[in-house]
Amino acid sequence: MTHGPTESLRAPLETPSLEAPPRLVGEFVILRALTCDDAPITHRWRLGARARHLNGAAASLEDQARWIASRPTGEFNYMIELVGGPAIGMLSLVNIDLSNRRAESARFLIGDEAAAQGAPAAVEAMKLLYELAFERLGLERIYGLVEERNHLMLKWQKYLGMKEEGRLRRHFFMDGEFVDAVSLGLLAEEYRATSLPRMRSLIALGRPRATGA
Amino acid sequence: MAGRRDEVLRIIFGALESLNQELDEDARVEVGPSTPLFGPEASLDSLSLVSVIVDVETALTLKWDTPISLTDDRAMSREISPFDDVGALTDYVLELLAELAPA
Repeated sequence: MTHGPTESLRAPLETPSLEAPPRLVGEFVILRALTCDDAPITHRWRLGARARHLNGAAASLEDQARWIASRPTGEFNYMIELVGGPAIGMLSLVNIDLSNRRAESARFLIGDEAAAQGAPAAVEAMKLLYELAFERLGLERIYGLVEERNHLMLKWQKYLGMKEEGRLRRHFFMDGEFVDAVSLGLLAEEYRATSLPRMRSLIALGRPRATGA
Repeated sequence: MAGRRDEVLRIIFGALESLNQELDEDARVEVGPSTPLFGPEASLDSLSLVSVIVDVETALTLKWDTPISLTDDRAMSREISPFDDVGALTDYVLELLAELAPA
């Protein structure tokens, strides 16, 4: 069993490339490239309760497939799969700007909550994405927006090192009302000082322990 | 000691009740002394676990006026995870308090 990403992923590239690695392998989850074959399951997730804090879902399965097919090559769109198990969610790195060494983490959704129970799937998925961003692409900053009522996600992102940088007032129109977006950001040094140790700790909690029996 | 244990349990129950306010009805967790928390046999995902950790750490720090971290190396290296269930977390917090804020 591996206990983290492959060694090749840890080494920074000499020249960052915008070609998305097709697979990022962790201990509990694998990130693999999103394809049109994922349209049915991702469309179902986007219509689920847990996606209520995200932008509106595609109207139909065909729209979802068209949306996936139209993703630009500069976006890294991943499915989150349990190792040896099913796909449970999705996660993206978008707006990748190598000149300013920044990118946005986006479209983070655990669609199959039951399958993720008891496993540090969300944490390790984010850890793999951060490693890609900070170690492989050499970025200085990751940022993102979280809908203000998504309290669990805000708490989770801040615990893992994100800092609140501002508030975009009435930024989303959801459930018939305008709501604010909370702007979060994480610098490379904060990732190394805060995010990485905390992520490692949470991942360790998911490992079976010797019972002494 | 029973008084301190009751106080810690109240804090953990409060964190679980706060979590339940964020979850859909069918995803809510039982609030009790043997509620499983996190690990191969448990029922929380990592988003919910972090919510509990943050709320418990915040409440402990306010109550005992000393910073308390529940996820340092010491917690990770224990044979039985402090996050197996509410009882294990209570025991772990009491152990930390005995060192950081002796009664």
